[in-house]
Amino acid sequence: MSDPSSINGGTAVAMVGKDCIAIASDLRLGNQSLGLANNFEKVFQFGDKTFMALTGLASDVITLKETFRLKNNLYNLREEREIEPQTLANLVSSTLYEKRFGPYFIGPIVAGLDSKTSKPFICGFDLIGCIDFAKDFIVSGTATDQLYGMCESLYEPNLEPEDLFETISQALLNAVDRDALSGWGAVVYIVTKDKVVKRTLRTRQD
Amino acid sequence: MNSIAQKYTHTNNNRILNEITSARDGLASTHQLELAPSIQLPPISQPTDFLRAHTDDATNPDCKIKIAHGTTTLAFRFQGGIIVAVDSRATQGNWIASQTVKKVIEINPFLLGTMAGGAADCQYWETWLGTQCRLHELREKERISVAAASKILGNLVYEYKGMGLSMGTMVCGYTKKEGPTIYYVDSDGTRLKGDLFCVGSGQTFAYGVLDSEYKWDLTIEEALYLGKRSILAATHRDAYSGGSVNLFHVAEEGWVFHGNHNVGDIFYDIKEKEKSFNNVDG
Amino acid sequence: MPGLSFDNYQRNHFLTTRGYGQPTATSTGTTIVGCKFKGGVVIAADTRATAGPIVADKNCEKLHRLAPKIWCAGAGTAADTEMVTQLIASNLELHSLHQNSQPRVITALTMLKQHLFKYQGHLGAYLIVAGVDPTGAHLLSVQAHGSTDIGQYQSLGSGSLAAMAVLESHWVPDMSKEDAMKLCADAIESGIWNDLGSGSNVDLCVMEVGKDAELYRNHLTPNVRSEKARSYKFARGTTAVLRESIRDILDVEETVITFGSASVDAMEVDA
Repeated sequence: MSDPSSINGGTAVAMVGKDCIAIASDLRLGNQSLGLANNFEKVFQFGDKTFMALTGLASDVITLKETFRLKNNLYNLREEREIEPQTLANLVSSTLYEKRFGPYFIGPIVAGLDSKTSKPFICGFDLIGCIDFAKDFIVSGTATDQLYGMCESLYEPNLEPEDLFETISQALLNAVDRDALSGWGAVVYIVTKDKVVKRTLRTRQD
Repeated sequence: MNSIAQKYTHTNNNRILNEITSARDGLASTHQLELAPSIQLPPISQPTDFLRAHTDDATNPDCKIKIAHGTTTLAFRFQGGIIVAVDSRATQGNWIASQTVKKVIEINPFLLGTMAGGAADCQYWETWLGTQCRLHELREKERISVAAASKILGNLVYEYKGMGLSMGTMVCGYTKKEGPTIYYVDSDGTRLKGDLFCVGSGQTFAYGVLDSEYKWDLTIEEALYLGKRSILAATHRDAYSGGSVNLFHVAEEGWVFHGNHNVGDIFYDIKEKEKSFNNVDG
Repeated sequence: MPGLSFDNYQRNHFLTTRGYGQPTATSTGTTIVGCKFKGGVVIAADTRATAGPIVADKNCEKLHRLAPKIWCAGAGTAADTEMVTQLIASNLELHSLHQNSQPRVITALTMLKQHLFKYQGHLGAYLIVAGVDPTGAHLLSVQAHGSTDIGQYQSLGSGSLAAMAVLESHWVPDMSKEDAMKLCADAIESGIWNDLGSGSNVDLCVMEVGKDAELYRNHLTPNVRSEKARSYKFARGTTAVLRESIRDILDVEETVITFGSASVDAMEVDA
């Protein structure tokens, strides 16, 4: 309400499954109580199997998305390969910590599969770049509290991609239904070794 | 002993409490306030400032007590009577506390009050208004007029002006001599008679739909749909409105409830039927 | 430009004056301890990270490596303990390469305190630094403002009081390695149970003179989550999907066929 990271609203979540990950966000962009747009995706792709979700102040979300796009492109040119989720996580961390005393008001999530081993990787950050390596799920955004509740109860390890999709979708949907500033549509990415599936969900529109 | 205790009791030195007590003493001859429950004030020097500091998140963003706010309510007069439509969401900050709030208070079989602002304030004082209306009936052997009922509420909130009451309400009813009547009463003390009102954080969105489709000659069917459609528009755009739509029709025989319509269900039905809400896919 | 950027500082300060509060960074809300024993030193930490009242990470790592045989436990702002520790670790390695000798604990401590003092306490890092070097085993601590401490046993963080109560009552000079490990683990456990900011598991690191440092990640796990009583798996198809797009990822395999090695009709130059 009174802090910049909850002016625009928005929520994201990532989960680990059996040889797969899922990352999802809502689609709302608002100005306090006024809903402005219902097509504001907060999940961005960096390479085939590396994804990043950004929640928080929308201007910072866009600024950072572009910053990381630039950094990722430079990485691709220099290394002649795609960035690994692990590497992106460290890049995010150091980029955020650079602004330790004037932070961006965001809560990023990085999720993906390692290009060589196909090992799932997810992690989250606070606004100054402290990495939270988790084995199960990461949540972020204005419905953080609700998502912690949903994920702690719904999540179980080693879910198949299709089951993981249902779990992450229901966790997100039911969390945003208890948050005034999130919702208005949702997207889910399911990433497996040989396939990336993007699904747009049908949600409540209030 | 008692006098010493009284002398050192905070409340006794409380200017505002004294003011209220003396004001109430002055009004003792009038009937209605005798049954008004007295509100106890905390034993501190400035209860109003204290309340504001801890509950008003507009002036103090870090306040811990968040009073449920945020609503869309509407009522309009038309050829067939009055339509009252409201949403059902209650929020505390960004937290959606409930999606199933009853925001229409059935004061008696002929009077409805709507609820916007502090949920407790509206609920409490409109229930209280119900008792006052019943007492009027018993005393005068005649049903109270909408004008009189709304004025009881208007006077009451004016007594508490500046003390933190927060309500925006519409008193809607039908009497023989008045016909279908709507009074808007809010906690600032405003009391207005009118044909059409929307109240709450989503009022502008409801006005948008209502104004563009409203005609005096609407059929009851059309009017009910317009009421529902206006609230739906507000629940869509306003983050603090949502849940479901409660519909009422007020006519000569009293009010009739026309159902609870879950936004999650009716949104896509209406979108498909009207080919509207083209900003939403699905 | 290297170093920290203050670009957004003014913007955020302006936002603060307009009544917008600051979001909370992850804090370690921690219990960390260290204790010397005969021939070495041991440090330990809990594994809970908090963001306000929320447990942000149930099994985070608060034991950081500064050098192979110098480790430190961090409390305070999580990002600061992590970053300041990584920076000093880098500088310490460069320093030891330059000096062609093993890094000393006192060097690490000096680098940390000078860095932290420079930032006047704005870097919220509270560290217990321990390790072995050619001068022996050491146990030191440094606070966010740059002040430092030496002691036979130390505790820091929100659970430091609970931990210190255990250390004060059970510490004796010249303990054995096992007793020191037990003491540290007990002290952390006291923090886990009695301090709301600390919780989950005990991480432990033992540094002994003449031996490699040993990290016991999750040395104690007194808070294992019990198996869920019921599965909340949803039937496939529960969630209504509006649109779906699939991107197949194909592996392109490249095989290099070397010319003429085993080929029968290879061209012959001088037949």
